[in-house]
Amino acid sequence: MSARRAVLLVGSARPPGTGNSEALATYLLARLVEGGMETEAFHVHRCQRPERERALFEAVDGTDLFVLSTPLYVDALPYLVTRCCERMAAHRAAERNESNLQNEHRSRMVALVNCGFPELEHTRVALDICRVFAREASFFWAGGLGLGGGEAIGGKPLEEVGGMARHVRGGLDLAAEALLADRVIPEEAQAELARPMIPSRLYTTLGNWGWLRLARKKGTLRRLWDRPLG
Amino acid sequence: METQAHDPQVIADPETLNPAKRTLVLSGALPGDDALEPVEVALLALLREEGTEIRGYSMRDVPLAHCQGCFECWTTTPGLCKTDGDAGREIASAMINSDLLVILTPVTFGGYSSEIKKALDRIICLVLPFFRRVDGEVHHSRRYRKYPAFAAVGMLPAPDEEQARIFHALVERNARNLDCRVTAVCLLPAGAPPADVHESLAADLEPVLAHVGGRVA
Repeated sequence: MSARRAVLLVGSARPPGTGNSEALATYLLARLVEGGMETEAFHVHRCQRPERERALFEAVDGTDLFVLSTPLYVDALPYLVTRCCERMAAHRAAERNESNLQNEHRSRMVALVNCGFPELEHTRVALDICRVFAREASFFWAGGLGLGGGEAIGGKPLEEVGGMARHVRGGLDLAAEALLADRVIPEEAQAELARPMIPSRLYTTLGNWGWLRLARKKGTLRRLWDRPLG
Repeated sequence: METQAHDPQVIADPETLNPAKRTLVLSGALPGDDALEPVEVALLALLREEGTEIRGYSMRDVPLAHCQGCFECWTTTPGLCKTDGDAGREIASAMINSDLLVILTPVTFGGYSSEIKKALDRIICLVLPFFRRVDGEVHHSRRYRKYPAFAAVGMLPAPDEEQARIFHALVERNARNLDCRVTAVCLLPAGAPPADVHESLAADLEPVLAHVGGRVA
C-alpha cells in the first residue's frame, strides 16, 4: 500500500525559505511526514507558467490532502492565490465532467492563514473564502487555522522561534494528529493558535518601533509619512 | 469597460461634471466572462446621473505585477509601490484622489475576483505601516487625510447565502482598514433583468450615490 500524500501550496510571494506562511506549513508537513505521509510543496508565485501550474494541479488531483498556507492580503487571499484557486476550481470541474476525479477519492483540504495584525479575527474572512473554495473545487474541508501576529515568526523555522511559539507548535501538532487520523482539525488547535505569541500592546509597540528602525537604516525616516499621491 | 490601462478616459458628459466629485470604478470581470456588462452599463448610468467624473479600469485588460509582500512601499519608497512601469501607481493615485471607489466583481468564493485583488493588493501604500486601534482591533494608520467612500457590487452565479455573508464581511473589513466612512454593498444574481439591476443598484448604493452626488454633507 502506497503512502498517503499531502501537497502544500505556499501563498506568500516572498522568496522560498523566508516567509511565515511557509514556516507554519513546513512545521505541519514535518509532523505529517513523521506520521508516514509523503509531501510535496509548491510556491504560488512559481506556478504562473502553464507547465508549473499543470504540475501543481496534477499533484493536487492525486493527493490525499491539500494544504494551503497563505498570508492575508487586504483582508482576503492574495491575488496570486485567488487566481490559482479560480483556475484550480475550473480545472477540477472539468476533470469531474470527464470522470477523472472520482468521488471516492475526494481529497481533503486545510488552510492556514496568517496576518500581521495581532488578532486572528482578521483572518476569518479569508478562511471562509478557503472553505467555499474547498466546496466549489470538490475538496472535503478538513478545517482552517488562523494566526494573528504572524510577523513575530520572522520567517524562521518554528522550532527556532522559541518559547513564544510553543502554543503555535502545539496547535499545529494537534492539527497534524487529527489529519493523520482522517479527522477534521479540532477546535483545540485553533484555540492554541489564538493565544498571542506576544501581548497585543507589546506587539504593536515593537512593530511600530521596528518600522522606524528600518526606515532609519534605509535613510527614509523623514519621508515615512509622505503623501506622494495626493 | 470603456477605459483602458494607462489611458483612463473621463467618461461622464463634460457639461454635467461636478469637478469636486470623482469616482473610480474597478471592474473585475474574468477573461471571457461578459456577465457583468449589463451591470456595468447600469452602474455607469447611475453615476452619470449624479454628475460625477468617472474613471474606470477593466482590470483584465490591465497588466499588473503582483504585490511581493516586501513592504518597501512603507520603508524604502514611502507611499509608492517600488514596482514602477505598470498601472499600479496610477490606480493607487486614482483611488486616493477619488470621492468614491466602486468595485464591480463576480463573487468568487465569497470574495472579489482575482482581477480585483490584483489591484487591491497594490494599494497598501495608501496607509502607514504603523498600528492604530479601531473598535478594539488593530489596523494600520491613515497616510492621507481623506479616503474615498466605498461600494462593492458583486454578481453571484446562483443564490448562495454563505457567499453573500462573506462578501458583506469582506467589504466591511476593507472599509474599516481603508478608513472609508461611507460604504454600500449590492449583490445581484447573474442574469437579472436590466430593470431589476437598475433598481437594486439605485437602492443599495444610495448612500454612496448621495455622497458623490453632493446630496449629503
